Amino acid sequence: MEISTIPLSSSIRGKLISAGYTSLSSISSVSSTDLARDVNITEEEAFDISKLANQISGSNGSCINGAKNAWDMLHEEESLPRITTSCSDLDNILGGGISCRDVTEIGGVPGIGKTQIGIQLSVNVQIPRECGGLGGKAIYIDTEGSFMVERALQIAEACVEDMEEYTGYMHKHFKANQVKMKPKDILDNIFYFRVCSYTEQIALVNHLDKFISENKDVKVVIVDSITFHFRQDFDDLAQRTRVLSEMALKFMMLAKKFSLAVVLLNQVTTKYTEGSFQLALALGDSWSHSCTNRVILYWNGDERYAYIDKSPSLPSASASYTVTSRGLRNSSSSSKRIKMM
Amino acid sequence: MKPESLVGKSPTSPKLTTGCEVIDGCLRGGFPCDSLTEIVAESGCGKTQLCLQLSLCAQLPISHGGLDGSALYLHSEFPFPFRRLHQLSRSFHLSNPSIYANHNDNPCDHVFVQNVHSVDHLFDIMPRIDNFVGKSKTRFPLKLIVLDSVAALFRSEFDNTPSDLRKRSSLFFKVSGKLKQLANKFDLAVVVTNQVTDLVESSSDGLSGLRIGNLRYLYSSGRRVVPALGLTWANCVNSRVFISRSDDTICKERSEKDESGQRALRRLDIVFSPYLPGASCEFMITQEGICGVQ
Repeated sequence: MEISTIPLSSSIRGKLISAGYTSLSSISSVSSTDLARDVNITEEEAFDISKLANQISGSNGSCINGAKNAWDMLHEEESLPRITTSCSDLDNILGGGISCRDVTEIGGVPGIGKTQIGIQLSVNVQIPRECGGLGGKAIYIDTEGSFMVERALQIAEACVEDMEEYTGYMHKHFKANQVKMKPKDILDNIFYFRVCSYTEQIALVNHLDKFISENKDVKVVIVDSITFHFRQDFDDLAQRTRVLSEMALKFMMLAKKFSLAVVLLNQVTTKYTEGSFQLALALGDSWSHSCTNRVILYWNGDERYAYIDKSPSLPSASASYTVTSRGLRNSSSSSKRIKMM
Repeated sequence: MKPESLVGKSPTSPKLTTGCEVIDGCLRGGFPCDSLTEIVAESGCGKTQLCLQLSLCAQLPISHGGLDGSALYLHSEFPFPFRRLHQLSRSFHLSNPSIYANHNDNPCDHVFVQNVHSVDHLFDIMPRIDNFVGKSKTRFPLKLIVLDSVAALFRSEFDNTPSDLRKRSSLFFKVSGKLKQLANKFDLAVVVTNQVTDLVESSSDGLSGLRIGNLRYLYSSGRRVVPALGLTWANCVNSRVFISRSDDTICKERSEKDESGQRALRRLDIVFSPYLPGASCEFMITQEGICGVQ
């Protein structure tokens, strides 16, 4: 439909046409702010134009494109798959696993198992749909050099064994239906990037959009760790905060656009508050807004625990887990407790 | 930007043998390449002994667990034990005569030693390592960097004020970032050593006893210790190995070989590592070098 159908003053109509807005759909496809800037009119005028254009073209009347109602979103969210951590206690407190479309931050002291969770997720995301997985691929961004191929292979082998056992159990009579996944294929489906400086890290994050568009089945992006290069060479902390929040927005955008899970591993640092030192995740307070979910890993006696520190949908809870040679598993003492009850 | 293929890489990354089967078993073959491994121990536990032995073992052919390469030994604790290196190199030469059969060189020719007296000096040296690796034309390319010790560089120069500590933390990450970059670029094994501090119970800083890694407490010579340089530095290394000494256990084996017949027993623990389970083994230091005890 032509824009002549909108009741507008001729001067504004002229401005719209000269800026290239010749059809109603072209107006309704941009936000009123962009329209105001392109056509050089005030925002109120632009808002009115968008509103009129939407009314005439008979769209649902919402001025903000892409707005959805909460009911639809709830359904969408419930249908979203989750990536299992291979530790059912941890999955339980996470509401079934690491959720797609979210940015999840996992932090803890060195040696607590951050990298192990990262490797485990990059393997588990590939569990095929028949076995209750996502059948996706993983991007692993290694900033610290902690990713070891032999460890990934070990976890992949254990995962394949578990899947074979599962399919054997599910389809006792359908031998032909067995999953033919090899540990080598699992390694093949992890896109591994090693970054050695923060400039490389920023460049890679900017490139991810294009990369994932070409590899649509990527379902998890793991950054191990987001922190390492940002704790050196930054005298200007305000600049660091800006760079980091821009990066966080990119990750949010990727998570929503491709409905994949973003897992950012973070280090802990000591924070001086009220006369005493306390442990806190690195990168400061403003960074803590950047992630949807935040999980903190800590030692409790001789057991590793995970604690949901922040989440819009999950209650705060903690669960123990253990790192075995086969990967992440329930801690043995908790299974004993359950047996006793 | 293209992802690296994981399948193309060898399933077990190259490792540098320590020259001792028992410790190699504990480390699944030795110290890994493209990774930064830290050895934490109080003085006199054998950090430097292990590092010297690694520098020589780097020359072993890959089939023998070596890296077919030379070593760069950056030392910040003086003096450098040249005599001991020479002693070790002689027994190394005797036990591996085949490597030097056709060449008239000495194992010591392939251990490059550089002193480092401050953090700034270290930053001067590191860009030159790039050139050094690129241009070296010996039959052994550089495959190992040892920094002995990182603690000596950082423990003296900085005050205990917030601004100095912040500066120090930033330098930790810079040193570690640069070392990891070299390790990645040239597929080097990087080994750094660190000292320990005694843990004073009920000190005002409540976090000094924070548990890091597999071991709940670290004991050496009967005292409870923590690695120097704190939590921040612990974030900078890929793997941490702890060596401790206990005064009680004396090993009386091999008495026919050495005069005294008594050797202090040392214990090696994996504190944390992305590819190793928690494990430990015991060893002693003999004239020929480090020797594991079953």
